[in-house]
Amino acid sequence: MFIRHEVGKIALDLEHQEVELLTQLYGQLHDLLAEGEMEVDSDPFIQLMRMDGPTSISEDPALARLFPNAYLSDDEAASDFRRFTEPDLRRKKLVSVREVLAQLRGYEELVLLHPDQVQNWLLSLNDLRLVLGTRIGVGEEDEELRDTEDPEQDPGYFLYDYLTYLQSTLVDVL
Amino acid sequence: MELVEPMVNVDVPWVTIVWNDPINLMTYVSYVFQSYFGYDEMKAQTLMLDVHNKGRAVVSSGSREEMERDVAAMHSYGLWATTQREDA
Repeated sequence: MFIRHEVGKIALDLEHQEVELLTQLYGQLHDLLAEGEMEVDSDPFIQLMRMDGPTSISEDPALARLFPNAYLSDDEAASDFRRFTEPDLRRKKLVSVREVLAQLRGYEELVLLHPDQVQNWLLSLNDLRLVLGTRIGVGEEDEELRDTEDPEQDPGYFLYDYLTYLQSTLVDVL
Repeated sequence: MELVEPMVNVDVPWVTIVWNDPINLMTYVSYVFQSYFGYDEMKAQTLMLDVHNKGRAVVSSGSREEMERDVAAMHSYGLWATTQREDA
């Protein structure tokens, strides 16, 4: 969980099992995002020439949720917006995920977070919930049928509820 | 004497809309509105509740370029946002 430490900073306090679980989940989020990462040329001029990103929304519902259309009824504008913004947005998301992963791998005990680390956790935890929530169909009609009391029956929901809890502790201390 | 209406800029008819989704936490959405737009807690809460109850809320207005910037920022926070002309 995240707590407001007495020195005024936000602190991260995780059990060993949580660190393992989060490392796995963040690893999956990393792979999902990195799959679509464009190779960046070292020549800045070539980079500039190749700044084009994808022009249509992903067929993967989770990626479509992370990179939604910016225009509802103007396909051309939506396509242009995506082409110019998605690579940068993807890079930013990946940076947050990589920073958090590095912190998880070196985690030993309660640690005070710098403001930029707090921001990385905040954004990436939300992305993780969006991906997992989309995968397990949060908000879909048969959702009422789920059994949250039995994680064995529904590991996806168990993980999702855990992430919701973790994110709540962070938002509460911001 | 005529009352002077608050300034309405007719040259900037674009808006950023945030749409409801079943995953984002209400507290998180409210935090994003405060953090990114600098809205006070009450305004952020009102907008968040509009998103939640009415399915959408106009969270900012301005030029098309400004709205594209706001939409991109909302996407970086994981909120589902779009832009359009105010009268669209």
